[in-house]
Amino acid sequence: MNIQEYIESGILEEYALGVLSEMERSEVERVAEEHPEVARELLQVQHSLDAYAEAHAVTPPDDMRERVLRGWQEAIRNSGEQQSQVPPVTAPQMVASSAPEPVAVPAPPQENGVVRQLPTAEPAPSRLKWLIAASVALLVLSGLGNYLLYSRLQETEANLEVAQTEQSRYAATQQAALKERDQELAVLRSADFRSVELKGTPKAPEALARVYYNPTTKAVYVDVRNLPAPPSGKQYQLWALDNGKPVDAGVLATATAAGDSIQQMKDIASAQAFAMTVEDVGGVASPTLSTMTVIGNL
Amino acid sequence: MLPVSATTPESVTLETENLLVQRLRDRDEGAMTIFYDKYSAALYGVILRIVKKEELAEDVLQEAMVKIWHSFPSYDAAKGRLFTWVMNVCRNLAIDKIRSRQYRVGSRTQPIEESAALRQAAEPSFRPEHIGLQEMTRQLNPEQRQIVDLLYFGGFTQSEVAEELNLPLGTVKTRARAAIKVLSKLIR
Repeated sequence: MNIQEYIESGILEEYALGVLSEMERSEVERVAEEHPEVARELLQVQHSLDAYAEAHAVTPPDDMRERVLRGWQEAIRNSGEQQSQVPPVTAPQMVASSAPEPVAVPAPPQENGVVRQLPTAEPAPSRLKWLIAASVALLVLSGLGNYLLYSRLQETEANLEVAQTEQSRYAATQQAALKERDQELAVLRSADFRSVELKGTPKAPEALARVYYNPTTKAVYVDVRNLPAPPSGKQYQLWALDNGKPVDAGVLATATAAGDSIQQMKDIASAQAFAMTVEDVGGVASPTLSTMTVIGNL
Repeated sequence: MLPVSATTPESVTLETENLLVQRLRDRDEGAMTIFYDKYSAALYGVILRIVKKEELAEDVLQEAMVKIWHSFPSYDAAKGRLFTWVMNVCRNLAIDKIRSRQYRVGSRTQPIEESAALRQAAEPSFRPEHIGLQEMTRQLNPEQRQIVDLLYFGGFTQSEVAEELNLPLGTVKTRARAAIKVLSKLIR
């Protein structure tokens, strides 16, 4: 490497200005270590910038001295640095050797006072230990607390999810039920429907049911007031009688037979009377007349 | 060449500095008082020049002293003077401050020449080995000075200066080097 060229390249000036990258900086430092001329030149460049900086000197206000020194001392004290090495022997030595030097005159007494106040060497390590122990304990506690809160949160979230599912299912059920009621209500209020009272036969004199029949739309609804519970394996079946001939109108759901709701049955083209018999579950093709429970004419 | 040259006190200050370095290395807190008396004016001046506000400059100086104290073991006397090192600590801290406060957004376009800090003259009582600001600025031409100020006090990179002044990067580099060569001749 041509050293003179390197010096002339201006990289040392850039180094001193602080505009080089980390890599370039260490490269300059490496070259300076190898070549004393470069090191000398670098110092020269740095000193010229130092001089430029010093030319901008502004003496701070007098009261700042005390504030800054005190603030500095508090800051280094708080950062927990150990003050182990302040051997009283060194200080006087220093003072003595620098005695003829005006700038190095020992600090004014009040500062010395402040400086010596440090009651440090003993308590610092034990306080530090204590602080560390306390920090660790706090950290552990905080970790536990976090864990507890987290599991509680998980639980709450799960519960919330269940509640939300439940709620939407309930809403859907209610919606469906409401729609059904609306339909039923429409049937009951409609002038097109004719109602037929089905009265109990001597077999079940208390039995009572009602059929709503719309001859135009052929729709049939059944509304049970009171029916004896069918034997197990049996089910009520509704029949329309058209010119004396029984036509299957479908079987009654358990809820319908119990009187909990009205049920739409099969459409019936034409009928003059309705009757119910007790049949095997699922219904049969022709009624078992002996089990007829209710009957009524239009 | 110039009436002000670094003749007499150089060796003396060097000795003082070595002593101070030794005491700082020994973690002697009293040394920081001497440090303050010796360097505060120069450091405060540069910090003030960068951050522009006295209160903030005081905070930065104190913070810098804490940093200097803590990172003193990393100071390598073989690589340069204590003054160079501490000045860079202060400069970087001050520049970080104005960057973090987004000062530059507002103040970047404001010519540095208009800043209040610049109008403050160098202390007449300052150490004799140092050349006054006026002498230095007389030797630097305005372009050179502007670039040194932006780089050294503004924390700008060379590319940022080029962009700011609408100059080719090469010109910025040439002027920066030339400026420091002028300064360098002044103290030789």
